[in-house]
Amino acid sequence: MKPEDFKARFDTLTDAMARAVVGHHDTIVDLLTGVFAGGSILLEAPPGLGKTLIGKTLAAALSMKATRIQFTPDLMPADIVGTNVVVEDERGSKEMVFQRGPVFANVLLADEINRATPKTQSALLEAMQEHHVTVAGTTYPLDEPFLVVATQNPEDLEGTYRLPEAQIDRFLFRLRLAALADPEWIEVVRRRTGAAEQSVRPALSKDDVLAMQAAARQVGISREVCAYGARIVAATHPDGNGAIEPVRKFLRLGASPRGLQAMVLGAKVRALCDGRTDVAASDIRSLAIPALSHRLLLNFEGQAERIRPQTIIEAILNAEQSGICNV
Amino acid sequence: MKAAQAVAAFATTFDAICSEVEKVMVELRPVIEDVVVALLAEGNVLLEGVPGIGKTYLVKTLGQVLNIRFRRVQFTADLMPSDILGTSLLVQDEHGKRLAFQPGPLFTHLLLADEINRATPKTQAALLEAMEEHSVTIGGVTTRLEEPFFILATENPIEQDGTYPLPKAQLDKFLFKLLVGYPSEKGLVEIVMRTTFERYPEATQAASGQDIIRMRQLVRQVPVASHVEDFALRLVRATQPDSPHATETTRRYVESGSGPRGLLAILHGAKARALSHGNPFVSRDDIRSVALHALRHRIQRNLDAEAEDLTADDILHRVTEELREA
Repeated sequence: MKPEDFKARFDTLTDAMARAVVGHHDTIVDLLTGVFAGGSILLEAPPGLGKTLIGKTLAAALSMKATRIQFTPDLMPADIVGTNVVVEDERGSKEMVFQRGPVFANVLLADEINRATPKTQSALLEAMQEHHVTVAGTTYPLDEPFLVVATQNPEDLEGTYRLPEAQIDRFLFRLRLAALADPEWIEVVRRRTGAAEQSVRPALSKDDVLAMQAAARQVGISREVCAYGARIVAATHPDGNGAIEPVRKFLRLGASPRGLQAMVLGAKVRALCDGRTDVAASDIRSLAIPALSHRLLLNFEGQAERIRPQTIIEAILNAEQSGICNV
Repeated sequence: MKAAQAVAAFATTFDAICSEVEKVMVELRPVIEDVVVALLAEGNVLLEGVPGIGKTYLVKTLGQVLNIRFRRVQFTADLMPSDILGTSLLVQDEHGKRLAFQPGPLFTHLLLADEINRATPKTQAALLEAMEEHSVTIGGVTTRLEEPFFILATENPIEQDGTYPLPKAQLDKFLFKLLVGYPSEKGLVEIVMRTTFERYPEATQAASGQDIIRMRQLVRQVPVASHVEDFALRLVRATQPDSPHATETTRRYVESGSGPRGLLAILHGAKARALSHGNPFVSRDDIRSVALHALRHRIQRNLDAEAEDLTADDILHRVTEELREA
């Protein structure tokens, strides 16, 4: 696929989504970047900012099988993957049949994932990682593409179970929704209370998505650009040699190799959208926050000072640019 | 002559397995070798490392390379013993109603028990019992697990709220505890170059489960000279603060040292290590190369050591030095 074709399809999808979602343009671009990089996305925002709307709009704009699961404290793993039930056929003999759960879809919206108990969360994340589920000893593959868009409320909200580090690391990007500007508030209200229908028409097919994902993987990257990304990841390690002050002071754990993979996979999509067939350092840089912020773990001091991981990544990028540290 | 061939074949297969896994795991050759040594010494491994360094891939690839089954279980605070072992269900078929056992994920060859310290003690104990006995008992029926059976459990190095650290008696059941850190920047580049073009670099089969069982038998036949045995014994007893072999560091920093399982782990591991180099007997170097892995989780530091931020590894390095000087 040529970069122009890729970009044209990418833009069709962005436009389709913008018809239903007011604002959040950058978030939508990052979300779609993650989708074509083949990963799962975690959307984080306080209630009411439109997390679910973004997810639902994405599902509607792709003509693929979409399902939605509302996570609650009493949701069980079987509610996600499915379960064996006894059925009786016309001759009266009973047998066990596997009833597929909502995970058998191409686009899965997992709403408020951190409200479920840890075992249920891990059932979803395992499916996300492995692209198959195992029930009572039988393994069922999931259809490709398999995209998960999970939403979560900020972690300090009551009644949430924090995702364990190993689990949250499995999300390609975490995107935080920005607050809306005043004109956008008005626009939301106008659309919601107005008469015009806001239906989203499918913009891309399953084959389009698969072809675009495959095209993204083929984008080249030089060792130098890759090393640049590796330096940013290494700079998040609090006991690393070149660690800058906020990293040493506020972090307990830095980003894993998966963080670099996420940056590079996303950067490949960015390059195509920019009409290039190889990754530039700026592509990597633009994805540092979505790809790394959820992988940094604050220490006690960082938590007490209410430091945001995003701020630390910005500090690393600035230090790198001005050449203060040997990032 | 035949024995010499068997030893040479052992070393070749060992190298083939490790090289195949290494294709997927960048910069982790030492860890891969130690894991395979533990597998061949009939032990299980506790791996301490941060998330995202490829622990799942390591076990999965090992499963592919040996063409044996693999499962991963994410441990969480609400995981129950039956989620691992399996459970009995009431089923009805042509013979009427009966209880049928639905085997859990434990019924595999290689099991990755991820973040084991997130589960409650009862669930941890269920896993460790299976690990020790290679069998499980549910509803009064004991089922043997298929060989080779091997557990790689991982533990997050960062202590957090809501985790249940393994008690010393449980830790003792692991043959080795291995530490894995972040890859270097060069390693990171290599990982990304290998994994962002194709989905997974494929590893091909290098040996079979039957080979592992045969290799395990050969490991048991390796002789250990009495002076080498003695060397290992002194090393283990030197970690016990009230033994006559205790060194100064031990008396100062160790609360309690390694028990007999530590010696067992060293000797069994060293036998596999020796064969991996193509040697039909155990040398002191083999003992040294596994001692740290066999002992680091078996010594308990005292408050002085914690206050001075000395790790179990620091203490063991010092003790080894002191023994050399003595």
